[in-house]
Amino acid sequence: MYRYDEFDAALVRERIAEFSDQVNRRSSGELTEDEFKPLRLMNGVYLQLHAYMARIAVPYGVMNSRQMRQLAHVARTYDKGYGHFTTRTNIQFNWPALQDLPAILSDLADVEMHAIQTSGNCIRNVTTDVFAGVATDEIEDPRPWCEIIRQWSTIHPEFSFLPRKFKIAVIGAAKDRAAIRTHDVGLQIVCGEDGETAFRVFVGGGQGRLPHIAQEIASAVPGQSLLAYLTAILRAYNLLGRRDNIHKARIKILVAAVGIDAFREEVERQYEILRLEDLRIPEAELARIQAYFTPPPFADLPATSPAYDAARRLNAEFARFIRSNLREHKQAGYGAIIISLKPVDGVPGDITADQMEVVADLAERFSFDEVRASYEQNLVLPHVRLEDVHAVWSRLRKTGLATANADLATDIIACPGLDYCSLANARSIPVAQALSRQLADADLQEKLGPVRINISGCINACGHHHVGHIGVLGVDRKGEEYYQITVGGSPDEQAALGEIVGRSLPAEEVAPAIARALDRYLEIRAEGELFIDTVRRLGADPFRTAIYEPIDAAA
Amino acid sequence: MKLLTANRLNDGRVIYLGEADAVVESIDAARLLDEAAAETALALAQSRPAVFVNPYLIEVESRTPSGRDRLKESIRSTGPTVGHSLAFARNETA
Repeated sequence: MYRYDEFDAALVRERIAEFSDQVNRRSSGELTEDEFKPLRLMNGVYLQLHAYMARIAVPYGVMNSRQMRQLAHVARTYDKGYGHFTTRTNIQFNWPALQDLPAILSDLADVEMHAIQTSGNCIRNVTTDVFAGVATDEIEDPRPWCEIIRQWSTIHPEFSFLPRKFKIAVIGAAKDRAAIRTHDVGLQIVCGEDGETAFRVFVGGGQGRLPHIAQEIASAVPGQSLLAYLTAILRAYNLLGRRDNIHKARIKILVAAVGIDAFREEVERQYEILRLEDLRIPEAELARIQAYFTPPPFADLPATSPAYDAARRLNAEFARFIRSNLREHKQAGYGAIIISLKPVDGVPGDITADQMEVVADLAERFSFDEVRASYEQNLVLPHVRLEDVHAVWSRLRKTGLATANADLATDIIACPGLDYCSLANARSIPVAQALSRQLADADLQEKLGPVRINISGCINACGHHHVGHIGVLGVDRKGEEYYQITVGGSPDEQAALGEIVGRSLPAEEVAPAIARALDRYLEIRAEGELFIDTVRRLGADPFRTAIYEPIDAAA
Repeated sequence: MKLLTANRLNDGRVIYLGEADAVVESIDAARLLDEAAAETALALAQSRPAVFVNPYLIEVESRTPSGRDRLKESIRSTGPTVGHSLAFARNETA
């Protein structure tokens, strides 16, 4: 993985010194809250319902064991012993005191972590395929490009005060495991005409109040010109994006307003007048960055392991875990393990300090010291020998991290909702918990196959409800929590926004309603057809009926 | 009736204005305010920015939040309804 050079280290330390001074001036009353707010937000610090909240960047979701242990230390020393992984693959601490923030950031800087650009109207943490460098269908590892974008965008003077926040995701395969079309800019590595790396570029995606699926703006931007092309997009947005209305300030609104063709023309106009020589990525620099992401020293192993195969045969619970949580690795004899942070009745994305330390140990011992955060709010041990999978599973199981539900119905993506968030209209976590109890039967979940359920506590859509196969949106109806259900959303290469199926439901009716929709799927699916494909074939109507028929009959 | 609430500057925790202008953490210790007292309380809190961050008034019926934001205010007063902070609180008291 990437290691800080002296510039990164100095930049992070300087920022902590600056923020430390700002915190002191805030504490002494020299700065008002209005003056301090933009300063703390530039350092990832929010003021939520019950306390300050610190959001720490996990660049493109990649961490080593030292970092994970330090997160555990922060959770234990300055917080209430847990953290929360977000859909931007960041981690949030919910209870830090103001005066502790510089110490927290300093402890994190010791392990090359920071909170820069985790908030504010700037380019946020770049996300990618959690199986980067692992997936068999990958054209090229996207992580070096993520790192290049991170370096270019960090405290970029021109793009530190955009009309609104800006999110970029990069993938290296045709299969989209990073939801790139829900991003302001989505980048897909493709093979250029010259055989070199190029990027298919999507622009104007985003969720929130006015959701849009990103549209293709370029089919193959040469890798060397990536930063120039991104600069042209950002410059066009910075100049033309609206600043008069926060709800219309994202690039998705601009692209939708002028149309993709007119926006492309504007980007190309900007591109023409850029000083390209300043933005071209030198080959030596690209090679230097790529060297940080060379594959670990894999052993030359057979494709199967007798011990692993025997364990699968003998232990049904382990076999189930393998079926749901192990993913194929491009290196023979290895696999990637998804550590679900979605236990039945748990809080999606939450992890305790003790669990973080177990994950750190496992990463260090079994996965070349690497662990990843996925946007689905899970963790991944990317490079585990098949013969070690049983040992990893046993340890995970002892610490409550072996829930066998990756990509299944209880692998629910949910924002913190009104239990923590000052923007929320309704709670998300209790709804996720009720659903996880309702659908807890592991056999049922396997029968249902991959189903993505997403829950957001307000229209800002941090839980990505618009693109859930089933989406749940909390709304406030005269001070009562209600939930609107959507069906047919999809975050992947067939990205789509879900369709609202009807009037919103009170909290206690949500889980049974979704269970009925899933039961209906089992009745009407074609042989081998996934839930989302059944929705695509038949539309939302059968599910609407399943959800509302009994409620209407009772009314 | 109304209560005055805010987040405390040094740790962000939910606070209320109590009797004798004390700062209290429990909604049960908050001072009930009529319209006139509420405006005075708000002015007082605004004049103490080293303690009160974003002070505002909430509607209550005998210290139970009752306005449009009653759910939010109720959760603010008791903490998250679910999750690890509850176990943490139990350990703290134990």
